[in-house]
Amino acid sequence: MRDARDVLRRPVISEKSVNLSAENKYSFWVDPAANKIEIKNAVEKMFKVGVTEVRTMNVKGRVKRVGRHSGRTPDRKKAVVTLRPGDAIEGFAGL
Amino acid sequence: MSVKVEKLEKNVVVLEVTVEGAKFAQEVNRVAKTFANRVNIPGFRKGKAPRALVEKHVGKETLYNEALDHLLGPTYAEAVKESGITPVDRPEVDVVQVEDGKELIYKAKVTVTPEVELGAYKGLQVEKEAAVVDESAVEAELKRRQDQYAKVITLEGGKAEEGDTVNIDYEGFIGGVPFEGGKAEGHDLVLGSDSFVPGFEKQLVGAETGQEIEVNVHFPEEYRSKELAGKEALFKVKVNNIKRKQVSPLDDEFAKDVSEFGSLDELKADIRRKLLEGEERRVETAYRNAIVAKAVENASVEIPDVMIQAQVDHMVEDLAHNLEYQGINLEQYYQYSGSNEQEMRERFRPQAAENVKSELTLEAIGKAEGISISDDELNEKLVQLAEQYHQPADALRANLEANGGLEGFKANLTMDKVVEFLVENNA
Repeated sequence: MRDARDVLRRPVISEKSVNLSAENKYSFWVDPAANKIEIKNAVEKMFKVGVTEVRTMNVKGRVKRVGRHSGRTPDRKKAVVTLRPGDAIEGFAGL
Repeated sequence: MSVKVEKLEKNVVVLEVTVEGAKFAQEVNRVAKTFANRVNIPGFRKGKAPRALVEKHVGKETLYNEALDHLLGPTYAEAVKESGITPVDRPEVDVVQVEDGKELIYKAKVTVTPEVELGAYKGLQVEKEAAVVDESAVEAELKRRQDQYAKVITLEGGKAEEGDTVNIDYEGFIGGVPFEGGKAEGHDLVLGSDSFVPGFEKQLVGAETGQEIEVNVHFPEEYRSKELAGKEALFKVKVNNIKRKQVSPLDDEFAKDVSEFGSLDELKADIRRKLLEGEERRVETAYRNAIVAKAVENASVEIPDVMIQAQVDHMVEDLAHNLEYQGINLEQYYQYSGSNEQEMRERFRPQAAENVKSELTLEAIGKAEGISISDDELNEKLVQLAEQYHQPADALRANLEANGGLEGFKANLTMDKVVEFLVENNA
């Protein structure tokens, strides 16, 4: 199995994600190839918490242009993980 | 908030101020919010980022320093009030502890007004000079008036005397050659005024209108023009006319002419009375000053340097102000007088120290004797002042209050009262 660090890339730090953390839902940018089971295991292992639900979404990269060259920012996968009631990830915003 | 006061040296005090942790944290939070409004953190609209992120973004130190800046002013002011000291300087602040959730502790070192050790200030037995007016002073004043009202007449024939004004044309020669600046026409010269080369005026005494005389002079060695110094010169002078001041004889007639009095004796009496009044005022002022000076001399106080410096600043400012009326600025003044700011300040220092000392002493006496200005007295003086300036008293008061001048005004009144007290208790 791949290491937890390879699955979870970084927390999503945004207004929305911070607000969601109040509902015990934590958002991460994850490896686009990872599935929900892998994400669940990775979060449980890394933060020593219980995960009840994982929802994922593929975020398409944006088209960026520099002059006449056009390119894309990479596609990403975002996962919103709901923890067991009572569990929490401390200092989420500061990760 | 709590304050610990520690006296260092003569008039330096260290205040150790402890601000509650909660208050400090609250301030940090408030500051963090203002920062959040300013910094742009990706993923958040302005002002919406959580505190932890803002802290990470701008740095803890920045937040703390900012909060500290906000807290120092008010807490310091409060501490000063609480400890009852009167600082004369800006404090030197030393932060002892700033940590999250803990108390904020800082030490402020500040110079305070020194304590005055009062010496004797009652029963000083300062002698008051008697106001006397010399008869010669009266005569002198009379003579001055006589001169002032003298008629100038042009002499028809007759010889010039010392004190006359002669109108002359002249041309000067050295060794038969005219020299630069040695020629003038229609010049008015008062004989005996010593405004010309020594000997020149003397030789004109006895001259008559229309006469042409040759005047031989020897320019002094230290004459201002180098080419002429030490040389013999010949002046050809033509006397155009001679004017003489004719003074009226001092009699009742004269008195009637120059004053509203009918006789010379009355005029004399009036002059004497006025001179006496002036003299009395002078004596009274001198007397008061002497009493204050004595009381100040008897007191001892160590004046902090900053106070003297402040006073010197004040004096320089005053000087600059006065100079401005004469249309020059300080820089120009330094040039004329060949000095500079440093030197000037050095020169002002003793006087400044003296001023500060008297002020402190009078203040201390006032405090020791419980002399103060009541609101009624203050109001009364304000009304008087307002009348002088033709302003409504209320407006004046509001004006003073707005400029913070009311305290100073009150302090001045208190000073006056203290001086009054000293005078009363002199004997």
